Amino acid sequence: MNSDELFSAYPIVSNVWDEMFSKTEVREPYQRILHFLKQLSAEELTKKEEMARRLFMSQGVTFTVYSSGEGVEKIFPFDVIPRIITASEWAYIDKGIKQRLKALNLFLIDIYSNQFILKDKIIPTDLIYSCEHYLREMHNLKVPHNIFVHISGIDIIRDSDGTFYVLEDNLRTPSGVSYMLENREITKRIFPDLLPQCFVQPVINYPQILYKNLAALSPRHNSNPNIVMLTPGIFNSAYFEHSTLARLMGIELVEGRDLVVDNHRVFMKTTKGLERVDVIYRRVDDEFLDPLVFNADSMLGVAGLMSAYRKGHVAIVNAPGNGVADDKATYIYVPDMIKYYLNEEPILKNVPTYKMDDPEHLELVFKNIENMVIKKTNASGGYGMIIGNAATQQEIDDYKIAVLENPRNFIAQPIINLSSAPCYINGKLQPRRIDLRPFALFGTNDIEIVPGGLTRVALKEGSLVVNSSQGGGSKDTWVLTDKF
Amino acid sequence: MLSRVAYSLYWMSRYMERSDGILRLLRVNYAYSQDDFNQFSWKPVLSIFSAMKPAEKIKIQYQNRTVLKFMITDNENQNSVLNLICTARENARSVQDNVTKELWQCLNDYYHEIRKKQIGVSLELDDPISVIDNLVTQGLQYYGTYEITMARSEGYYFMNIGKYIERAILSVDILDVKFSELEYSLDETTDPTYWKYFLLSISGYELFLKSYRSALDSSNVLHQIVWNDDFPRSIIYSVNRIQKSFETLKSDKTSESYKVLSFMIGQLESSIRYSDLKDLQQVGLKEYLQKIKNDLFAIADALNHYYFAFN
Repeated sequence: MNSDELFSAYPIVSNVWDEMFSKTEVREPYQRILHFLKQLSAEELTKKEEMARRLFMSQGVTFTVYSSGEGVEKIFPFDVIPRIITASEWAYIDKGIKQRLKALNLFLIDIYSNQFILKDKIIPTDLIYSCEHYLREMHNLKVPHNIFVHISGIDIIRDSDGTFYVLEDNLRTPSGVSYMLENREITKRIFPDLLPQCFVQPVINYPQILYKNLAALSPRHNSNPNIVMLTPGIFNSAYFEHSTLARLMGIELVEGRDLVVDNHRVFMKTTKGLERVDVIYRRVDDEFLDPLVFNADSMLGVAGLMSAYRKGHVAIVNAPGNGVADDKATYIYVPDMIKYYLNEEPILKNVPTYKMDDPEHLELVFKNIENMVIKKTNASGGYGMIIGNAATQQEIDDYKIAVLENPRNFIAQPIINLSSAPCYINGKLQPRRIDLRPFALFGTNDIEIVPGGLTRVALKEGSLVVNSSQGGGSKDTWVLTDKF
Repeated sequence: MLSRVAYSLYWMSRYMERSDGILRLLRVNYAYSQDDFNQFSWKPVLSIFSAMKPAEKIKIQYQNRTVLKFMITDNENQNSVLNLICTARENARSVQDNVTKELWQCLNDYYHEIRKKQIGVSLELDDPISVIDNLVTQGLQYYGTYEITMARSEGYYFMNIGKYIERAILSVDILDVKFSELEYSLDETTDPTYWKYFLLSISGYELFLKSYRSALDSSNVLHQIVWNDDFPRSIIYSVNRIQKSFETLKSDKTSESYKVLSFMIGQLESSIRYSDLKDLQQVGLKEYLQKIKNDLFAIADALNHYYFAFN
């Protein structure tokens, strides 16, 4: 296929940073893959796309949509063209995320103990106490090695001038890392030999690093601690991820009903009787962890788990209570935290954010609502938000009423023009908006970020919402070595 | 190994074995129906594998295609191959990290295959044997992958136990239905093709010719299916495999559970091994088979109680 065919549907949108094209030419990191694509016919490329779909299907990389009693298997849409990040861009992101996580972890230690940051009036006290994810149960609980955010997924976007911003800190149970790993496996199959030719850094070490970190948390000092992954079960939409990670780390995948607490120690029920559990990587939300402490109706957790945790007989990853740090209203104060705890200037910027419980901000936002996104502070997955230029007047009016009822629960941000990247859609390359979620692992010695992450893409033309629940897909993410 | 995981592996294996048994039975019975100038009745097959009401069975017993569709692709029939594969896969899915990736993919491919609408259409309009052969091959791939890739650890042995319990129950059931048509009499001279197709349906015809050489009479058939150690679908062979697999689970910690079950399995094995046709005739064929079945169910219950209790 020649360039004309490939690019016949590639409009350059003004005011949007395109990952592949500068105004005049194809950016250097993309030239090699473009050269490769030009050698393929449209049929071959479509065949590769079909092959990717088949591989996902046969490996069961699917989520099940239950309708009318019958499960329908869907795959998370995958675009074959990789998203490329240069070594220097990555170094900057890597440094920025590590700085941010250090501050956020210090914040969590502080907020659940001395609360200096409140006493010094850096963050308003009522903001913390009104946050529904703030857990009083965590107060003065000594978490192992002082680590709260073992695993995090920081969402990063790129504005029209190419600057990276942090959009969201996901510090509770971020998902998507299995797609980072699977997407790379698929790329190996559909573009044989291309990865080494393009000097792409591997992501394959993620499970080993995570395992090493989990093992280091074991309260018993034996050589072979018992580490388990706690899943809500097969009906959870991220179940595939849970079983993949458990398999890759060689740890047991358990459900709440497999565990039992006896004398403040956690055990799992095996064919040979009860076996002591040391570390729990849980993918169950705080609220459902322990029916004795949190939601009493929960069947997903384990009764007595929090008491075992409090006594230091088991490690829970991530620590409960992290939600107070990734609340969208707390987000505003992360740059201040960095200055307060680390005495450093933030490397990665925040998106300008307005607090709706500040009357001045509220007025400003309502006046410019067509340029604003308003979000619920505690919602995720692209739910509970409104984009000013895409909503009807009726929707805006309804949303305004909801905001005025409880302004603390909302924030607003100017609409950011997410950067675009080429996607292979209907036989042509077309630009679609993307973001990036690298996964950071906070260990007892240092923070490690596997070079890569999940690039999510809004597959609908013109859409800015990349969430999978809202018609998003994903791409393989290539971080190049500096040899390139 | 987690009790829940052992339970799921055990049931996955039982469902897979059942689907294989059903498909082979359907294949040969269909072939037989093409040779039968009297009207061929599916009633025995329906009796073994479905909870259909007698009146309904009578209604469809002569309709080849209807029965095949009911047994293979019917959503409502709990024991249709479609439902068995879906359930087996659902069990595997909940313990994905305990089966090999290859085995999971193989089951998952089978699942996507059996859900194709085309299968129902082909059963209605094309050659059903091709359809069934294709599914049997998918099943064989599962067996091969399971033998080649699964680690010889607890999970594998629980799968074996499930497989052979299911197989033993299937063989007893099949004998029961086949002989009930003859009113459990061993003396009756029966049409040899009756036994020929029966043996074919359980892949036992060739071995029969080699082992017995004589005419196709019912006592030889009975001998092959109950006592022939060389026949992989015989009851004695299956019970023996249950025993062998179970022995590997021995450990100090579980002495109590281990003792109870190994006693039950051993008792069943000897009661079959050290009985012969004469003993059988004394108690009556029907009662003899019923006793084996009860013992197998009791073993399955004990497994539930001692090894799979997780709730």
